[in-house]
Amino acid sequence: MKDLAAVSGQTGGPESSLQPLEPAAPKADIHRGQASRRKFPATFCLPFFFGLMFLLTWQLEGFHRLFRLEHYQLPIPSAIAAAILDNAPMLWSYSLYTGSEILGGCLAGSLLGLIAAAAASFVPRAGRGAITLMASLNAIPIVALAPVMNNWFGDGVASKMAIVSVMTMATMAVSAFKGLRSIEPPYLELMSSYAAGKLQTFAKLRFRSALPAVFTALKINMSTSIIGAIVGEFFISSRGLGFLLSDQIKLANMPLAWSCIVIAAVMGIILYYAVQLAERLAIPWHAAHRRR
Amino acid sequence: MLSDEAVPSTEIAVERISMVFGKKDHEVEALRDVSFEIYKNEFVSLLGPSGCGKSTLLRLMADLLEPTSGRITIGQEHPREMRLRRKFGIVFQNPTLFEWRTVKDNIELPLEVFGIKKSEYSKISDQLLEMVGLTPFKHHYPWQLSGGMQQRVAIARALSLDPPILFMDEPFSALDEFTKEKLQLDLLEIKKKTNKTIVFVTHSIPEAVFLSDRVIVLSSHPGRVHSILNMDREEGSPSLVRQSGLFHEMTAAVRKCFYKESDSLDGQMV
Repeated sequence: MKDLAAVSGQTGGPESSLQPLEPAAPKADIHRGQASRRKFPATFCLPFFFGLMFLLTWQLEGFHRLFRLEHYQLPIPSAIAAAILDNAPMLWSYSLYTGSEILGGCLAGSLLGLIAAAAASFVPRAGRGAITLMASLNAIPIVALAPVMNNWFGDGVASKMAIVSVMTMATMAVSAFKGLRSIEPPYLELMSSYAAGKLQTFAKLRFRSALPAVFTALKINMSTSIIGAIVGEFFISSRGLGFLLSDQIKLANMPLAWSCIVIAAVMGIILYYAVQLAERLAIPWHAAHRRR
Repeated sequence: MLSDEAVPSTEIAVERISMVFGKKDHEVEALRDVSFEIYKNEFVSLLGPSGCGKSTLLRLMADLLEPTSGRITIGQEHPREMRLRRKFGIVFQNPTLFEWRTVKDNIELPLEVFGIKKSEYSKISDQLLEMVGLTPFKHHYPWQLSGGMQQRVAIARALSLDPPILFMDEPFSALDEFTKEKLQLDLLEIKKKTNKTIVFVTHSIPEAVFLSDRVIVLSSHPGRVHSILNMDREEGSPSLVRQSGLFHEMTAAVRKCFYKESDSLDGQMV
């Protein structure tokens, strides 16, 4: 009987005159409900719902009808899922291979960009020119970059890491340099009034202020890195998702080719959230993470 | 306050300071031939409309700017020397707190930069937190505090190295009237406790009159010293002081500087 009353109390039945028996539990539920009601639809439910609708439309050949496509042109999700399951061990090892290129290249490139920005921030006049020069790296098309890097570093992981590094370096350098240099004057005057040296001002003020810009660049670099690693593998490689993708397209084995695309997309999401998590931990004070 | 001492000793001497910003064709004359003295343990306000160069003057004293001509000495030394020896603290109009530091960590920033051991400075910052009444908030972040509380943190931070001089650049002008009056009282209390020399930049006549021993009135374009006025202080509760006849007399005397510039200065002017 008591259980029943508690249940009816929680479901909010108007007949629950026994509710005061357990005043704490429903109250706590209400609060949790409010919190999750505020957050849940925005961050999870809505994207999940639309994702499901998208998959369903795809599976039921909605897109095929709309764009007049055949299954060999656009495999349906169930066929892709089957291809992933059939080739799970290979896909797993290729994902790790390509993943290491992405992560290694992105971290190395971003670190180099950050070091360049830090060095440039100490000599702002010459530094600004150097950063502008670095920004021109972004203008190198990957089709030119990939063969050169393969030529320099061989057909293994190293050449793709090099490609990714070159592609990510400039974004980080430009963004971090801007963060390091755009400090409001009163803050610098404050440090000056404490007779703080350049290094102290860098460590205690500039670097901390630049962190939001650094993380923004890192987020952009993560997606650039996926493109860099996969396209890099198109040119010379015997392993990895990019190699498999171009190989299977040539063989017209579309479900397996699409498996690579799906895995790359999932990797992109995971890496984005990983950077987001790192950002949350590193700069909890930033306005974007504040919870009053 | 100064009457207790026979001869007040000069803390800051400003001698014939001129300041021109910009290059050849776009020169802006901010200050012209400004001279005055600030005595030890005195509360002096630099008062004037915007564009009179009062903030520039403060920055020159704090060695954040170099004058075009003229000389400033603080206790016989160049301001640079005093800055390097951390002989003054600064409070700006904006609290300029570091948003990644808690209240306590913000107050400890100058001590950290100075290179004092953490075990020693924790006690100092605790005392300062107590003085500005923010002990319960010491682990809060700046954005969790009101504007008035943030400015209290900035004041505590400026005092952390216990400098003999405090430079304040319109510290209360961004606050609402109630917070402003409360902080003015607190500042007088801090002044009484610590006996700092305070140079206070403001564009509020009542604020200057209420707080200061002397008010240096500046006129603008270019900034010059219009007059220097001694504020006779009345003892009593602050709210009474604000309503007293003397307060109004003083305010009127200061106001006269701005609205009847051509009039001959009366006995209040020094």
